[in-house]
Amino acid sequence: MTPSIPIPAQWPARYADELYRFALSRVSDANVAEELVQETFLSALDGLATFRAEASERTWLFVILRRKIIDHYRRQARATQVSLDELSEGGATEADFFNPENGHWTGPQAPASWLNADAALEQQELHDILLRCQQRLPAQQGAVFALRFVEELSAEEICQELGLSPANYWVIVHRAKLQLRRCLEKHGLGKN
Amino acid sequence: MLRLINCQNATLLLDQQPDRALPWGPRASLWLHLRYCPYCNRYAKQTVLIAEWARAAATSRAHSDATLPEAAKERMRARLVEAGA
Repeated sequence: MTPSIPIPAQWPARYADELYRFALSRVSDANVAEELVQETFLSALDGLATFRAEASERTWLFVILRRKIIDHYRRQARATQVSLDELSEGGATEADFFNPENGHWTGPQAPASWLNADAALEQQELHDILLRCQQRLPAQQGAVFALRFVEELSAEEICQELGLSPANYWVIVHRAKLQLRRCLEKHGLGKN
Repeated sequence: MLRLINCQNATLLLDQQPDRALPWGPRASLWLHLRYCPYCNRYAKQTVLIAEWARAAATSRAHSDATLPEAAKERMRARLVEAGA
Protein backbone atom coordinates (compact mmCIF):
# COMPACT_ATOMS: atom_id res chain seq x y z
CA MET A 1 0.00 0.00 0.00
CA THR A 2 1.37 3.40 -0.87
CA PRO A 3 1.43 5.78 2.08
CA SER A 4 -1.34 8.34 1.88
CA ILE A 5 -0.40 11.95 1.34
CA PRO A 6 -2.63 14.29 3.31
CA ILE A 7 -4.75 16.62 1.20
CA PRO A 8 -5.74 19.33 3.70
CA ALA A 9 -8.42 20.86 1.51
CA GLN A 10 -10.28 17.54 1.69
CA TRP A 11 -10.13 17.24 5.49
CA PRO A 12 -13.43 19.03 6.20
CA ALA A 13 -15.38 16.77 3.84
CA ARG A 14 -13.66 13.63 5.13
CA TYR A 15 -13.22 14.17 8.84
CA ALA A 16 -15.12 17.24 10.06
CA ASP A 17 -18.27 15.39 11.17
CA GLU A 18 -16.41 12.78 13.16
CA LEU A 19 -14.12 15.31 14.80
CA TYR A 20 -17.09 17.56 15.50
CA ARG A 21 -19.00 14.75 17.25
CA PHE A 22 -15.97 14.04 19.42
CA ALA A 23 -15.50 17.74 20.27
CA LEU A 24 -19.21 18.10 21.00
CA SER A 25 -19.08 15.13 23.36
CA ARG A 26 -16.54 17.05 25.41
CA VAL A 27 -17.60 20.69 25.29
CA SER A 28 -21.38 20.52 24.67
CA ASP A 29 -21.48 23.95 23.02
CA ALA A 30 -21.89 23.55 19.25
CA ASN A 31 -20.06 26.77 18.39
CA VAL A 32 -17.10 25.92 20.59
CA ALA A 33 -16.98 22.40 19.13
CA GLU A 34 -16.97 23.80 15.59
CA GLU A 35 -14.20 26.21 16.49
CA LEU A 36 -12.11 23.38 17.96
CA VAL A 37 -12.44 21.43 14.72
CA GLN A 38 -11.45 24.48 12.70
CA GLU A 39 -8.42 25.05 14.94
CA THR A 40 -7.50 21.39 14.61
CA PHE A 41 -7.40 21.62 10.82
CA LEU A 42 -5.34 24.82 10.87
CA SER A 43 -2.85 23.40 13.40
CA ALA A 44 -2.60 20.21 11.36
CA LEU A 45 -1.85 22.26 8.26
CA ASP A 46 0.84 24.14 10.20
CA GLY A 47 2.34 20.91 11.43
CA LEU A 48 2.04 18.98 8.20
CA ALA A 49 5.78 18.31 8.37
CA THR A 50 5.30 16.35 11.61
CA PHE A 51 2.83 13.97 9.99
CA ARG A 52 4.36 10.56 9.46
CA ALA A 53 3.07 8.82 6.40
CA GLU A 54 2.82 5.47 8.14
CA ALA A 55 0.37 6.90 10.68
CA SER A 56 -3.27 7.33 9.91
CA GLU A 57 -4.28 10.83 8.97
CA ARG A 58 -7.49 10.41 10.95
CA THR A 59 -5.69 9.32 14.14
CA TRP A 60 -3.26 12.20 13.77
CA LEU A 61 -6.13 14.70 13.50
CA PHE A 62 -7.76 13.22 16.59
CA VAL A 63 -4.52 13.60 18.55
CA ILE A 64 -4.46 17.28 17.59
CA LEU A 65 -8.14 17.74 18.47
CA ARG A 66 -7.62 16.14 21.86
CA ARG A 67 -4.80 18.60 22.55
CA LYS A 68 -7.16 21.44 21.55
CA ILE A 69 -9.78 20.14 23.99
CA ILE A 70 -7.23 20.07 26.82
CA ASP A 71 -6.22 23.64 25.90
CA HIS A 72 -9.88 24.62 25.97
CA TYR A 73 -10.28 23.27 29.52
CA ARG A 74 -7.05 24.95 30.56
CA ARG A 75 -8.34 28.31 29.36
CA GLN A 76 -11.65 27.66 31.13
CA ALA A 77 -9.87 26.83 34.38
CA ARG A 78 -7.35 29.62 34.18
CA ALA A 79 -9.91 32.28 33.33
CA THR A 80 -11.55 31.59 36.66
CA GLN A 81 -8.47 30.68 38.66
CA VAL A 82 -8.69 31.75 42.25
CA SER A 83 -6.60 31.18 45.33
CA LEU A 84 -7.42 28.39 47.73
CA ASP A 85 -9.02 30.83 50.17
CA GLU A 86 -11.27 32.13 47.46
CA LEU A 87 -12.16 28.77 46.00
CA SER A 88 -15.45 28.96 47.82
CA GLU A 89 -16.63 31.84 45.68
CA GLY A 90 -19.23 30.70 43.22
CA GLY A 91 -19.43 27.17 44.55
CA ALA A 92 -20.20 25.02 47.54
CA THR A 93 -17.51 24.46 50.15
CA GLU A 94 -16.90 21.67 52.63
CA ALA A 95 -19.07 23.56 55.11
CA ASP A 96 -22.07 22.92 52.87
CA PHE A 97 -21.63 19.19 53.31
CA PHE A 98 -19.93 18.64 56.65
CA ASN A 99 -20.59 19.94 60.13
CA PRO A 100 -17.84 22.56 60.67
CA GLU A 101 -17.50 21.49 64.31
CA ASN A 102 -16.86 17.80 63.90
CA GLY A 103 -16.39 17.24 60.15
CA HIS A 104 -19.16 14.64 59.88
CA TRP A 105 -21.86 14.72 57.21
CA THR A 106 -24.61 17.14 58.09
CA GLY A 107 -27.94 15.27 58.20
CA PRO A 108 -29.51 16.02 54.80
CA GLN A 109 -26.16 15.84 52.96
CA ALA A 110 -25.32 12.31 54.09
CA PRO A 111 -25.14 10.03 51.04
CA ALA A 112 -28.23 7.92 50.43
CA SER A 113 -27.93 4.40 49.09
CA TRP A 114 -27.68 4.11 45.31
CA LEU A 115 -28.21 0.40 45.51
CA ASN A 116 -30.44 0.30 42.46
CA ALA A 117 -28.74 3.15 40.67
CA ASP A 118 -28.61 1.33 37.37
CA ALA A 119 -32.24 0.28 37.56
CA ALA A 120 -33.54 3.64 38.76
CA LEU A 121 -32.61 5.51 35.60
CA GLU A 122 -32.14 4.68 31.95
CA GLN A 123 -28.49 4.93 30.98
CA GLN A 124 -29.18 7.77 28.58
CA GLU A 125 -31.09 9.63 31.27
CA LEU A 126 -28.26 9.09 33.72
CA HIS A 127 -25.73 10.47 31.22
CA ASP A 128 -27.90 13.52 30.55
CA ILE A 129 -28.33 14.26 34.24
CA LEU A 130 -24.62 13.88 34.87
CA LEU A 131 -23.83 16.26 32.02
CA ARG A 132 -26.25 18.85 33.39
CA CYS A 133 -24.73 18.46 36.84
CA GLN A 134 -21.22 18.89 35.37
CA GLN A 135 -22.34 22.06 33.61
CA ARG A 136 -23.48 23.49 36.94
CA LEU A 137 -20.05 23.17 38.50
CA PRO A 138 -17.99 26.35 38.84
CA ALA A 139 -15.84 26.67 35.68
CA GLN A 140 -12.56 25.69 37.29
CA GLN A 141 -14.03 22.62 38.98
CA GLY A 142 -15.78 21.58 35.77
CA ALA A 143 -12.53 21.84 33.81
CA VAL A 144 -10.50 19.91 36.39
CA PHE A 145 -13.17 17.21 36.62
CA ALA A 146 -13.29 16.80 32.83
CA LEU A 147 -9.51 16.70 32.49
CA ARG A 148 -9.20 14.06 35.20
CA PHE A 149 -12.20 11.81 34.58
CA VAL A 150 -13.07 12.28 30.91
CA GLU A 151 -9.69 13.06 29.33
CA GLU A 152 -8.03 10.88 31.96
CA LEU A 153 -5.00 13.05 32.55
CA SER A 154 -3.11 12.27 35.75
CA ALA A 155 -3.30 14.54 38.78
CA GLU A 156 0.30 15.49 38.14
CA GLU A 157 -0.36 16.44 34.51
CA ILE A 158 -3.38 18.54 35.51
CA CYS A 159 -1.42 20.40 38.19
CA GLN A 160 1.22 21.13 35.58
CA GLU A 161 -1.28 22.22 32.91
CA LEU A 162 -3.17 24.50 35.27
CA GLY A 163 -0.36 25.62 37.54
CA LEU A 164 -2.08 24.17 40.61
CA SER A 165 -0.47 22.92 43.79
CA PRO A 166 -1.43 19.34 44.71
CA ALA A 167 -3.29 20.59 47.81
CA ASN A 168 -5.28 23.01 45.70
CA TYR A 169 -6.00 20.30 43.14
CA TRP A 170 -7.36 17.92 45.78
CA VAL A 171 -9.69 20.55 47.18
CA ILE A 172 -11.06 21.22 43.69
CA VAL A 173 -11.55 17.52 42.86
CA HIS A 174 -13.13 16.81 46.22
CA ARG A 175 -15.57 19.71 45.95
CA ALA A 176 -16.47 18.79 42.38
CA LYS A 177 -17.20 15.20 43.43
CA LEU A 178 -19.22 16.29 46.47
CA GLN A 179 -21.36 18.57 44.34
CA LEU A 180 -21.84 16.08 41.52
CA ARG A 181 -22.84 13.40 44.02
CA ARG A 182 -25.40 15.68 45.60
CA CYS A 183 -26.69 16.87 42.22
CA LEU A 184 -27.13 13.30 40.95
CA GLU A 185 -28.95 12.31 44.10
CA LYS A 186 -31.22 15.31 43.84
CA HIS A 187 -32.10 14.34 40.28
CA GLY A 188 -33.19 10.80 40.76
CA LEU A 189 -30.47 8.62 42.23
CA GLY A 190 -30.96 7.23 45.69
CA LYS A 191 -34.74 7.22 45.54
CA ASN A 192 -35.15 3.50 45.79
CA MET B 1 -0.58 5.49 66.05
CA LEU B 2 -4.01 5.11 64.48
CA ARG B 3 -5.72 8.48 64.15
CA LEU B 4 -9.47 8.78 64.12
CA ILE B 5 -10.64 10.85 61.17
CA ASN B 6 -13.96 12.49 60.38
CA CYS B 7 -16.10 12.18 57.24
CA GLN B 8 -14.62 15.27 55.62
CA ASN B 9 -11.10 13.84 55.87
CA ALA B 10 -12.24 10.35 54.92
CA THR B 11 -13.94 11.49 51.71
CA LEU B 12 -10.93 13.63 50.78
CA LEU B 13 -8.68 10.58 51.18
CA LEU B 14 -11.13 8.52 49.10
CA ASP B 15 -10.84 11.06 46.29
CA GLN B 16 -7.04 11.04 46.54
CA GLN B 17 -6.75 7.27 46.46
CA PRO B 18 -6.95 6.73 42.69
CA ASP B 19 -4.12 9.22 42.13
CA ARG B 20 -1.67 8.63 44.94
CA ALA B 21 -0.73 5.69 47.10
CA LEU B 22 -1.81 6.74 50.58
CA PRO B 23 0.85 6.44 53.28
CA TRP B 24 0.26 3.78 55.94
CA GLY B 25 -1.20 6.16 58.55
CA PRO B 26 -3.96 7.76 56.47
CA ARG B 27 -4.70 4.41 54.83
CA ALA B 28 -5.24 2.76 58.20
CA SER B 29 -7.33 5.70 59.45
CA LEU B 30 -9.50 5.50 56.35
CA TRP B 31 -9.94 1.74 56.74
CA LEU B 32 -11.02 2.19 60.32
CA HIS B 33 -13.42 5.01 59.45
CA LEU B 34 -15.04 2.93 56.72
CA ARG B 35 -15.58 0.10 59.24
CA TYR B 36 -18.14 2.14 61.11
CA CYS B 37 -19.38 4.91 58.77
CA PRO B 38 -22.12 3.74 56.37
CA TYR B 39 -22.28 7.16 54.68
CA CYS B 40 -18.63 7.26 53.73
CA ASN B 41 -18.94 3.67 52.55
CA ARG B 42 -21.63 4.84 50.17
CA TYR B 43 -19.48 7.80 49.16
CA ALA B 44 -16.59 5.43 48.41
CA LYS B 45 -18.70 3.53 45.88
CA GLN B 46 -20.46 6.58 44.48
CA THR B 47 -17.33 8.62 43.81
CA VAL B 48 -15.98 5.72 41.72
CA LEU B 49 -19.31 5.41 39.87
CA ILE B 50 -19.36 9.14 39.05
CA ALA B 51 -15.93 8.87 37.44
CA GLU B 52 -16.98 5.80 35.43
CA TRP B 53 -20.22 7.40 34.28
CA ALA B 54 -18.53 10.64 33.23
CA ARG B 55 -16.21 8.71 30.93
CA ALA B 56 -18.98 6.46 29.60
CA ALA B 57 -21.29 9.43 29.00
CA ALA B 58 -18.67 11.27 26.94
CA THR B 59 -17.93 8.12 24.94
CA SER B 60 -21.59 7.55 24.17
CA ARG B 61 -22.05 11.21 23.17
CA ALA B 62 -19.14 10.86 20.74
CA HIS B 63 -21.22 8.24 18.93
CA SER B 64 -24.17 10.55 18.40
CA ASP B 65 -25.34 11.36 14.90
CA ALA B 66 -24.56 15.07 15.08
CA THR B 67 -23.18 16.52 11.86
CA LEU B 68 -21.77 19.87 10.84
CA PRO B 69 -23.77 21.91 8.35
CA GLU B 70 -22.27 21.85 4.86
CA ALA B 71 -21.77 25.60 5.08
CA ALA B 72 -19.52 25.16 8.12
CA LYS B 73 -17.43 22.56 6.31
CA GLU B 74 -17.14 24.90 3.34
CA ARG B 75 -15.97 27.70 5.65
CA MET B 76 -13.34 25.37 7.07
CA ARG B 77 -12.19 24.38 3.61
CA ALA B 78 -11.95 28.02 2.59
CA ARG B 79 -9.87 28.85 5.69
CA LEU B 80 -7.53 25.96 4.91
CA VAL B 81 -7.09 27.07 1.32
CA GLU B 82 -6.53 30.63 2.50
CA ALA B 83 -3.88 29.35 4.91
CA GLY B 84 -2.07 27.64 2.07
CA ALA B 85 -3.62 24.18 1.72
